[in-house]
Amino acid sequence: MRRFALNAAAVAVFVMMIFPVYWMFLTAFKPTADIQAETPTFWPAHPTFDHFVTAINAPGFGTYWRNSLVVTLVAVLLALVVSLLAAFAVARMRWRGRGAFLVGVFAAQMAPWEALLVPVFIIARDTGLLDSLAMLTGVYFMITLPFTIVTLRGFLAAIPLELEEAAQVDGCSRTTAFRRVVFPLLAPGLMATSLFGFITAWNEFAFVNVLIIKDQSRRTLPVWLSSFRDVFGTDWGATMAAASLFALPALLLFLFLQRRVGTGMTAGAVKG
Amino acid sequence: MRERSPWPYLLVAPAVAGGAFLLLYPLLKAAVISFQHFRMGELIRGAAVFVGLENYAELLSGAEFRQVVLRTLVWTAINVVLIMVLSTALALMLVRLRRALRLAVMSALALAWATPIIAATTVFQWLFQSELGVVNWLLVALGLDSFRGYTWFADGTATFAVLVLLVVWQSVPFAALTLYAGLTTIPAELYESARIDGGTGRQVFTRITVPMLRQLFALVASLEVIWTAKCFPQIWVLSQGGPDGATTTLPVYAFKIARVLHRYDLGSAVAMLTVVILAVALVGNLRRMVRQ
Amino acid sequence: MKYRILALAAMFALGACGTTEEPKAAATGAPEKLTLWIMDGSVTQELLKKFETGYEAAHQGVDLDIQIQAWDGIGERVTAALASTDAPDVIEVGNTQVAQYSASGGLTDLSAKVADLKGEDWLPGLAQPGNIGGRQYGIPWYAANRVVVYNKDLFARAGIKEPPKTRDEWLNITAKLNKGGNQGIYLTGQTWYALAGFVWDEGGDLAVQEGGRWKGALDSPQALAGMAFYRKLQALGKGPKDADEANPPQHEVFAQGKTAQIIAVPGIAARVLEVDAGLKGKIGFFPVPGKTADKPGTVFTGGSDLVVPVASRRQEEAYELVKALAGEQFQTELAKAMSFVPNRASLAGVLSGEEGTAAMAAAAANGRATPNTPNWAAVEATSMIKQYMTAVLTGGDPATEARKVSESITTTLNSGS
Repeated sequence: MRRFALNAAAVAVFVMMIFPVYWMFLTAFKPTADIQAETPTFWPAHPTFDHFVTAINAPGFGTYWRNSLVVTLVAVLLALVVSLLAAFAVARMRWRGRGAFLVGVFAAQMAPWEALLVPVFIIARDTGLLDSLAMLTGVYFMITLPFTIVTLRGFLAAIPLELEEAAQVDGCSRTTAFRRVVFPLLAPGLMATSLFGFITAWNEFAFVNVLIIKDQSRRTLPVWLSSFRDVFGTDWGATMAAASLFALPALLLFLFLQRRVGTGMTAGAVKG
Repeated sequence: MRERSPWPYLLVAPAVAGGAFLLLYPLLKAAVISFQHFRMGELIRGAAVFVGLENYAELLSGAEFRQVVLRTLVWTAINVVLIMVLSTALALMLVRLRRALRLAVMSALALAWATPIIAATTVFQWLFQSELGVVNWLLVALGLDSFRGYTWFADGTATFAVLVLLVVWQSVPFAALTLYAGLTTIPAELYESARIDGGTGRQVFTRITVPMLRQLFALVASLEVIWTAKCFPQIWVLSQGGPDGATTTLPVYAFKIARVLHRYDLGSAVAMLTVVILAVALVGNLRRMVRQ
Repeated sequence: MKYRILALAAMFALGACGTTEEPKAAATGAPEKLTLWIMDGSVTQELLKKFETGYEAAHQGVDLDIQIQAWDGIGERVTAALASTDAPDVIEVGNTQVAQYSASGGLTDLSAKVADLKGEDWLPGLAQPGNIGGRQYGIPWYAANRVVVYNKDLFARAGIKEPPKTRDEWLNITAKLNKGGNQGIYLTGQTWYALAGFVWDEGGDLAVQEGGRWKGALDSPQALAGMAFYRKLQALGKGPKDADEANPPQHEVFAQGKTAQIIAVPGIAARVLEVDAGLKGKIGFFPVPGKTADKPGTVFTGGSDLVVPVASRRQEEAYELVKALAGEQFQTELAKAMSFVPNRASLAGVLSGEEGTAAMAAAAANGRATPNTPNWAAVEATSMIKQYMTAVLTGGDPATEARKVSESITTTLNSGS
């Protein structure tokens, strides 16, 4: 009986979580005439790929996805490297200013990015960095950096120092000990934070909207995702098809990393 | 082992440098703007003049700002409590599920998490439409005839509820998966020995699970506080802060002021005060960090 | 493996740097780019292509770069462009938005060119919002006003031969059409452009200027009468009370074939046919009926202006481009291709002969614009009028709700800029 209740609850959760996503995919495959039907249909009676064709043929798709990939990957990798260095210093060394640094990092997570749009725009303009992917990458790097440092630091702290010391006794230098012993153990933490960074940077619209102005070829995918709307309204089918395609990379990344991610986040956070 | 070496400083240098140019500098600029007369004209032509505390005075003297702050607190509290309760329950459930079902539920969570915010928000808007929405159709089909053509977005409380549902739906995956992962790291032997000692299910939960998860729970909770308090696109797309201001939280308020009225000065003042409020709300967490 | 990832990262990093190296066209002697921003859906691709080819042939040394702008986030993008140091050279801006940019100091004053552009008979609904303090910043481009788009089959089946001429007739026939699973009219609760027309017809206004201050006026008896009519009409169909006409797009609802009428610009017919080509030849148009038969209803003039940012580096060429786009030849082509009203009254002749545009032209004479103040854009962006309409339609007290929204409008319009 208890098992039944548990399974029933699990099925209910499954349905609740999946339904809006299913509705997105479903709409992407429905012909426009069916989308606004008075009685909703829960299965694509006449599936069509028209919306996907519209989405892929929309201007910019070809260049935007490449820009998105470059900006997101560079921002995430940069954040990982920089965080790893900082996390090591915080978790493994004692130094004056360490507490202040940590508070700063935690406080940085509260940064009101929406409100920093105008100042960041002004800075980019005054330093000639408008229409530049480098500036955009920098902003995404900064948005994900604090979370990455906090998580990696907790993760590092969870790895016993003795492991490293044992390696050093065996004749490794400190760097080699880190690379051979600690780094592999960190892998799940790196995956967890990179997934978080990926989803954040991949979805960002407000900054690309004002930092990339005249050079359209530097825009990113969120711009494309929002482009199926005009004065007559939104083309739901195309938007949902685009959103389905848009969600795909993050999804694949998640399914690929899923098992490692779970453990990574915990180990990082448990020692908070 | 307190080291008098330059290494730690060199290691944090890139993070500090990045933070200084891309976060601290814009933040300072925003702070300066909050003391200026800075609107669309000043953004385009430059030459902003200082007005002292005028923007802050304007904010704090009006009743609206206080209402918005209060609403933001309520909004954050409701969301975070729901998110934490649901995701804890979900995590506990995941541990007990059989493999296949667990994988299915976890994949569903992942799907919800990976769905772009804009797409998810649009879908919710759609599900709750009064005439063609699936929710009303379903409620009517279940015999609740009063929901025929029910206008969810005409009523402040109903709109608020739909938004809570959306944000909880989007936030639960991260929290639940993290807490679940935390549960799996508790060694099984601990539970077994507790059971052998005659502990009931509840005792095992309060004596072993809770203490083991406290740190993780606190971290997830404070992240959710930050994220829900700052949550913006969902609210803007669904209701523009309406009806009648019922869903205007601080970020929506700041957006209205800064980017609709183009009063960047007043908007910056709102942002500054938001940071202060968040910092105060999370002061316990910060203090613990300093102590470490 | 690790090294491979690093190598990959380096490659991407280099790629990112590589693309920031802008190829300087001027150095190689190739024509410099002249950038034009057009809103998505304003002009068909074919017409733009044709214009571009013709323009480049006629203007040696100009490489016209036409960029289609998405609607989402356009306000911020235009503001950012005006504030940048190298802005697009000509931008299309909606006529309810242009006043705020004109007031910002970011647009080039084109007052001296009005005569050259034959501005004496510009449509007031486009020319006025582009004019702040006696200076012309926005150049009228095109207009479109709402008409009633109807399903001829449903009209015939209900035995209605003539389109209605007065509001009362309109209510009568709509009630007749609203039967047997069909909707008499699909009017969403937040179609505020339609409400504006009814309010103006009653002699009311959205906001009025009193001694230099703006005041929301939706609580006047005339405006309330307009709202009362809207409410009666809206009840003769299943338009959602808490949504606007774009959400879901009303042409998709109309294309289901069970909706007798919608209020929209004639250009929507093309969209309907995209969804269901079977409706070809079955879509009719008539002007929004007025209170009496001698005059059609007042309508909101929607449309666009062209502006030149001060930050454009090529002011002269930018003006030449504006002149071509606002000139007679392109105006004629644009009006025909898109079912738009040309920017000058004397060009209205091109509209006769086609049912949709003829209905529109009949009403265009009674076209009006939204209050001419920089902050009107903010009233629209915060949806306050839409939320007022929803409140009344779902049972709120009209007088109380109208007072509330008028106060909000007053605050917003006077909040300085």
